[in-house]
Amino acid sequence: MTYVFRNNTIERFLTGDYIFSGYDDFSAVPEADAYLWWYQVPIKYNRDQLVAEVESYAQRLLWAVDQIGDMPLLILTLESVYDVNSNISDRRLARAIEAFNSTAWNLAATKANIQVVDFGAFLNRYPYFERIDWKFYFLSQMILNPRLAGDFRKWLDEQQRALALKRKKCLVLDLDNTLWGGVLGEEGIEGVQIDGDYPGKAYHYWQEGLKELERNGVILAICSKNNQIDVEVLFAAREMPLSLKDFACTRIDWKDKATNIREIAQELNIGLDSMVFVDDNPTERELIRQQLPMISVPEWPSQPYELPMFYARLVEDYFSVYALTDEDKKKTEQYRQNANRAQAQAQFTDMEDFLRSLEMKLTITPATDVTIPRIAQMTQKTNQFNLTTIRYTESDIRLLLDNGAQIWTLAVADRFGDNGITGLMILKPENGWIIDTLLMSCRVLGKGIEEAFFKTVIGKYKGALAAQYIPTEKNRQVEEFYERMGMKLTRTIDGGVKEYSAQIETLDTSINDYYKIE
Amino acid sequence: MEERVLSVLRTVFKDNTIDATCSQKNCAAWDSMNHLNLVVELEIEFGVSLEPEEIARMVDYTAVCEILKAKGIC
Repeated sequence: MTYVFRNNTIERFLTGDYIFSGYDDFSAVPEADAYLWWYQVPIKYNRDQLVAEVESYAQRLLWAVDQIGDMPLLILTLESVYDVNSNISDRRLARAIEAFNSTAWNLAATKANIQVVDFGAFLNRYPYFERIDWKFYFLSQMILNPRLAGDFRKWLDEQQRALALKRKKCLVLDLDNTLWGGVLGEEGIEGVQIDGDYPGKAYHYWQEGLKELERNGVILAICSKNNQIDVEVLFAAREMPLSLKDFACTRIDWKDKATNIREIAQELNIGLDSMVFVDDNPTERELIRQQLPMISVPEWPSQPYELPMFYARLVEDYFSVYALTDEDKKKTEQYRQNANRAQAQAQFTDMEDFLRSLEMKLTITPATDVTIPRIAQMTQKTNQFNLTTIRYTESDIRLLLDNGAQIWTLAVADRFGDNGITGLMILKPENGWIIDTLLMSCRVLGKGIEEAFFKTVIGKYKGALAAQYIPTEKNRQVEEFYERMGMKLTRTIDGGVKEYSAQIETLDTSINDYYKIE
Repeated sequence: MEERVLSVLRTVFKDNTIDATCSQKNCAAWDSMNHLNLVVELEIEFGVSLEPEEIARMVDYTAVCEILKAKGIC
């Protein structure tokens, strides 16, 4: 049962287990499971009396707070529903209302059992003349238009639910195309957009917002598929609001994000349900929604200029708090210090179920006139998943074909859309076959596609196969790729170049059935 | 119209057994607050505005029907 402090007729607006005080009645406060305070500015033309009455409400609220001890109290802010002020420079009523509401917000900030909802946000949906129906006011002293009752109940329900959900602790962020524009592994330190003109400006502003959240006690974490060292260099080299030490915990590697986020939660010792995950990639968001449904995963805006609205909603939905204690503000620091760096045993979420749910379709086709420009472009631009990083022009590609090379392209589609051509493999005839080029766009990495692509192409051939890994600044993530595919390392030469060989017939070219190959 | 009035009475007073004999005298749920709720729901249901005099006369089911009929509802 909820006991309601009120000063006019509001029964119609609250259905359920409520009992009501008299109008502005402070004779006695009965015991209840919860309390609700909902006053409205009374209807009165005498300005002096009206102001004096409104000024008295704060005292009454404090008195009520004293009476209820630690029981929950929800306060609706005080709003004026109807007002005629002949002297427009007389701000006394506005000040009195503001003073009352400040008292309410301060109570909420200092007492754990008290919460406030902004009733003005509800009223503002309606034009002035719809807020009050004078017939009902005179019949029953009901200030609010009774026809708004249904909407009001729905709104109040939502507010209460939102209050219960608010105050997430930790914001887990992706990096590429989330904290900055572009892909670090592809565009390089100077290539990512984080300052200067649009879109860099939009990301810069977004980071400022995140920095402010961090200052206010929200724990920031990174979960990104990237090379740790590249990210460190970027943060050191480029001017941006956030620095690496603003993040209490980071997972910058090529593991699946569900595993990484579990580890982050363990390391910070917080519940998964207190985390929010922000990533521009719909596949990653879907992975987390499926694997860790207790984590909040907001949709990502489609354009960088929408980031301010996204930020506003993010704060409102998850991180708005009444006030911060100094302890709150030190939270990130504490979490960073206390973090148990011992890596938790890698936990396998049911990755297979996830991969299956993606309904991936791999289309593997030989190069054509139409795809040659894209093929050349990929050799020029792909850095991370690129075993040899040999750059070709379009005419180079045509020459390779004339000389008997076999060129295969990979297009990947899943239920979130079609990524187009994102993989390339070039084989040259040379005592059997040698893999001249194997590369994939990082857009499609991390789902076993690279393995399926390799195995499908290789499965078309027979006899001896040779391959090379040529290390660069950016392709460390693939230095063990051929080992994983079962090829034999024959020698390592200058600069870490690794050479491999295999008999194709002895390689395992079986592919998981959740990749549909065409 | 009569069926719709009964349906409004039943919803507002949360009582499915309400019939044409319903009045402020014999129905405990028909208090002053619910009287107001009844007025609002009737106004919404029939798209009319009830005047304070009519609201005061609405003491039972029969009176409700008469008032609505007088407003051209059938």
